[in-house]
Amino acid sequence: MTYDPEIMTETPMRISRSNISTEINKTGSWRFVRPGYDEKTAPCSSVCPAGEDIARIEMLVGQGMFPAAWETILRENPFPAVCGRVCFHPCEGVCNRGQMDSPVGIHHLERVIGDMAIENAYAVPHPFYGDEVEANRRATHGKNIAIAGAGPAGLSAAYFLARLGHACDVFDADSEPGGVLRWGIPWYRLPEDTLKAEISRIVDMGVNIYCRKPVTGEFLAGAATSYDAVFLGCGHGRSLHMGIPGADKVQDGLKYLHDIRRGKNTRTGGTAAVIGGGNTAVDVARSLIRLGVDTVIVYRRRRQDMPAFEHEIEMALAEGVRLMELVTPVRIDGDDDRLSLTLQQMRITDMETAGGRCRVVPDGGRTRILKVDRAYSAIGAEPLESWSRPPEQQPDLLKMSHCTLSTHPVSRLPLVFGGDLTVPVKSVTDAVASGKQAAMMLDTLFREGKTGIPERIAQCQVGGGPALSMEIYLSGSRKFRNPTIVPYTAINTDYFPPADRAVPPMTSPSERRASFEEIEGGYSPETAVKEAARCFNCGICNDCDNCRLYCPEVAIHIDGTRCINLDYCKGCGICVVECPRNAMSLEEEKS
Amino acid sequence: MKEVVEGSHAVSEAVRLARVQVMSAYPITPQTHIVEALSEYCAQGRMTGRFICVESEHSAMAAVIGAASGGARTFTATSSHGLALMHELLHWSSAARLPIVMAEVNRALGPGWNIWMDQTDSLAQRDTGWIQLYCEDGQEALDTTLLAFRLAESASLPVMVVLDAFFLSHTYEPVDIPDQTAVDRFLPPYRPKVHLDTREPFALSQMAPPGCYMEMRHDIQAGMRRVPDLYTAAENGFEEIFGRRYGMLEAYRCEDAEIILAMAGTAVSTSREVVDDLRDRGEKVGLLKIRMFRPFPTDLLRHSVSNAQKIAVLDRNFCFGLGGIFAQEIRAALYHGEWRPSVFSYISGMGGRDVTPEIIKEVYGLAKAADRPETESVWVGLDPATCPVCRTA
Amino acid sequence: MIRSPLPQTDYMTSGHVGCPGCGATVAMKFALRALGEKTMMVIPACCWAIIAGSHPQCSLKVPVLHTAFATAGATASGLRAALDMRGDTETVVVAWAGDGGTFDIGFQALSGAVERNEDFIYVCYDNEAYMNTGVQRSSSTPFGTRTTTTPGASWKQTRKKNIVEALAAHRIPYAATASIAYPEDMIQKFQRARILKGGSRFIHVFATCPTGWRVPTDQCIKIARLAVQTRVFPLYEVVDGVRYTLNHDAAPRPVRDYLSIQGRFNHLSDVDCDKIQTMVDEDWMLLKRKATPWPPLKPAYDP
Repeated sequence: MTYDPEIMTETPMRISRSNISTEINKTGSWRFVRPGYDEKTAPCSSVCPAGEDIARIEMLVGQGMFPAAWETILRENPFPAVCGRVCFHPCEGVCNRGQMDSPVGIHHLERVIGDMAIENAYAVPHPFYGDEVEANRRATHGKNIAIAGAGPAGLSAAYFLARLGHACDVFDADSEPGGVLRWGIPWYRLPEDTLKAEISRIVDMGVNIYCRKPVTGEFLAGAATSYDAVFLGCGHGRSLHMGIPGADKVQDGLKYLHDIRRGKNTRTGGTAAVIGGGNTAVDVARSLIRLGVDTVIVYRRRRQDMPAFEHEIEMALAEGVRLMELVTPVRIDGDDDRLSLTLQQMRITDMETAGGRCRVVPDGGRTRILKVDRAYSAIGAEPLESWSRPPEQQPDLLKMSHCTLSTHPVSRLPLVFGGDLTVPVKSVTDAVASGKQAAMMLDTLFREGKTGIPERIAQCQVGGGPALSMEIYLSGSRKFRNPTIVPYTAINTDYFPPADRAVPPMTSPSERRASFEEIEGGYSPETAVKEAARCFNCGICNDCDNCRLYCPEVAIHIDGTRCINLDYCKGCGICVVECPRNAMSLEEEKS
Repeated sequence: MKEVVEGSHAVSEAVRLARVQVMSAYPITPQTHIVEALSEYCAQGRMTGRFICVESEHSAMAAVIGAASGGARTFTATSSHGLALMHELLHWSSAARLPIVMAEVNRALGPGWNIWMDQTDSLAQRDTGWIQLYCEDGQEALDTTLLAFRLAESASLPVMVVLDAFFLSHTYEPVDIPDQTAVDRFLPPYRPKVHLDTREPFALSQMAPPGCYMEMRHDIQAGMRRVPDLYTAAENGFEEIFGRRYGMLEAYRCEDAEIILAMAGTAVSTSREVVDDLRDRGEKVGLLKIRMFRPFPTDLLRHSVSNAQKIAVLDRNFCFGLGGIFAQEIRAALYHGEWRPSVFSYISGMGGRDVTPEIIKEVYGLAKAADRPETESVWVGLDPATCPVCRTA
Repeated sequence: MIRSPLPQTDYMTSGHVGCPGCGATVAMKFALRALGEKTMMVIPACCWAIIAGSHPQCSLKVPVLHTAFATAGATASGLRAALDMRGDTETVVVAWAGDGGTFDIGFQALSGAVERNEDFIYVCYDNEAYMNTGVQRSSSTPFGTRTTTTPGASWKQTRKKNIVEALAAHRIPYAATASIAYPEDMIQKFQRARILKGGSRFIHVFATCPTGWRVPTDQCIKIARLAVQTRVFPLYEVVDGVRYTLNHDAAPRPVRDYLSIQGRFNHLSDVDCDKIQTMVDEDWMLLKRKATPWPPLKPAYDP
């Protein structure tokens, strides 16, 4: 018999040999907590008056995607190159990274994004995420809006209203648009070309700007024939008077800034005093310094009480501006070329007041004389026209955080007051916020009526508000964001190596006081990417893939977006802990 | 070609001729000559297989288990304590249905250390699921090793080829060493039924819960049950090429025997002479050579002793608390047989003590004189002078 | 959507019975991503012997050979020999053993195999006790640990055996430590090991066991990271037994940060923790010294 290897085939040989996948075991039944993707709100975006989606912006920059980052800004703010220079960046004050080493340079990053957009002519993102049907529908039902004031509030209102399909006419008394941006902020902080570029973008959207055409009471009376609503963003056109003997010898600080912008009143040399403590006062002083004028700021309280932005004060002092604290002028003598200010010494009586600033009173009869060639006052401003003041006790008045809506029949058409007239903090970004809020309010008024406004506005809040998001208003994916603010403790800092904050190039104080050239340079694109990579991207997913990588059950897969296969997830929670940025949550399994 | 070789080397030559692919072993007297020869063949290039010099017998068996799972023809060799050390893996390899062939040189277990002939080591592994074949001389050792590969690979069970320490392993005899071509006809290249392959991944030998374990065990026995047929087929093939066969048992002059001597190993050779001698003197005596111990050839045994009154089993081993192992197994096999001769159990030749013709004759004499077997095994050849407490039963 | 440079194909399936948060499963996941499909796993008795699935299931998409507890090194040697004899030189044989099957019962077979410089990768995924049988101590259990066989006041008073040093003493081509909290480093090491064919490669992987260490399941990766950050488990490589490279050398965190969050250590006093800190500092110093490049030795005589 020859060898027959098949002789054994009929005898079964059951051995331990296995290749059926364990996928038939649905281990998801073990679970008593369930993870999920739950994007939350970064603290920066909740304090940004414009509600910019900062975590996402920095995420995109960190990946080198500047156009996408810019588009993200433009959905909430038309002025990144401006704000990236002049905003007081409250975002950095609450930046979670700041609790690890130093806050992310959000302000500088916004500037470089804005500049790149101008340089490379990035296109404004489609307001309805490419949905042309919606765009046409909106345009068909678009209203006509008249806007008083081509400052940041008015221009922002025009921008957002135009994106919503409304036709806007902006009226301004001055020869050029910009308001405070052009006439109040000197160009060493905000170069003219930058401003022009960002304004022209709005014009290119179809917004009409009429200069040298101020809105008047008569205009308002007849506006109902051509317009469906008016936005009043004319700001504070009238400086407050000092109300002391000799006050007429003092020049108006705001007017001074306006003049030097036109090339007038540029006398150099000599000495000057600037009375006041706000941004205007500081801008006046720093402009004088650049014209070779030995300048001192005279302020009735202490430096820390000055309403001006701290870093501006710091820069002013570095440039050679002197500061006299706790003094206020009580009379002014002299003539046009030489003034003698009698300064009353003040003392602090009360450290705690409602405004957070100390209360001061004259310190007995202690006075001194300050002799200067000229003096300028910048102690505050108020609306120029009575009709531009927002009403206080009107029935049907709807006061929102940054705007006030008046639908009183007397006006015959809805009036929205915004900008410096109504904002809680007088800043450019708050002006942008008020323009956005006004646009939402008017758009809702037209579509749903006034009663719908508070709810709609509330839905658009970022975090707990008051910042609003136009993305949410237009039902972008941002509306699914959990309003819970991500605290520092929720960040897994193991994933972030220590790294110093990048510092942009800056001219030296001596260079600065010699010219009106822009002081601060911007980050280079490479530096911007590195700086943005320091951002935790609090609360949003940046595709780091940690969740999928570490899942012991191989239960996370990518099908367009990341999905957790609940058939197998045992609820260990590793994904939630290893998400560096708290973009996931664990909740109890519903049994 | 006939050569005078040591029993160990007869095994080595067979391993070489079988074209074994992976070998692994750990030295233990008296197995060492087997593996030394294999290393030599590899160094000379006469064998192309891999020889893994492991650091213990347990690892030697593990290595061949790994190799067999990878689809290679494998071989190892050991003895005594080495076999005992492998114990857990003897169970493992048979349940994994791996066709491993092992040469096992019967040597005593200590303490005291004893390197000489004793069958207890291999018999103590009778429960492990290995096929066991006991050899009488050098030719048989070579032939059995070749048969073992074919049997193992057709049964998918491991095979132990057992040799007496020194009496067989170190004794030179003329052995016909076949040529490679003939062996290749008998033993084609190994085609594994199950082996690991990345092209078709699966897991082997993993956890088997109560719901499936018994079935796997059942199938091992089903495999064992086929061994007699497979063995016969293999021997048929062997005889066709080489002209020799051995059978599972050999009944020598048993047809009309009243008393049959039963044993395994080299003592069989001595017993042939004694049986012839006794027959010449008119004694009706026969000799049953136990060659296949596992699976135990129950039917063949019952058939082979059909006329005898007594079976006198010579065990060169002991199961403490019970008795000689071959005797137990024979007794149990005959229990339900039609013809039930008495089984007398005799113990001798342990730890290298020689089983002389005199001892065999004594065993015969004792069996003939006794009416019925003692309950306990009878120790033959104990020397009271050496050990005062020892007494013959 | 995937910005990671890591290999993305998984050879492990869902539905396995590993405890929630099991570090050993994360270790296997990373290892197989690095090694690819031409891999055979030899798995002795350990947690993975169960996690790999019971008949007729399997949770791995590569061939697996289960083997007896003490035998990983030897069985892998045999399997390698068989593959070589069958002409398959592409498949890599990987022994995947727990700390018990490596440091204790499996040590002999491992030492024997690497002394022979067997061509395989031996991976020890270390959860620092006999976890599969219920958290009994092994020689890889660290000083200070409570286990079921070092309970109460009899917590383990002897040091963790330094397995990589023991393996380096065998002068094998490659030995390394790796951690599930450092996936890029771990995957690179496995890829390096795979390429270094022809000799023994040993990788000691730190695998958190939330069940046995009494920590919340979601802390699995964090604890593994802390072990490296506190220098309790340094990341390093040893080439040919003599050339040391430190892979992670940053300012350390105190050992207390690691000990204080694990239930298995919560009986330790300040004195105990200080002792552990000293031990960790000393071991680190020794390691640093070894990692300092040294000039080649000149023979004492001139032949």
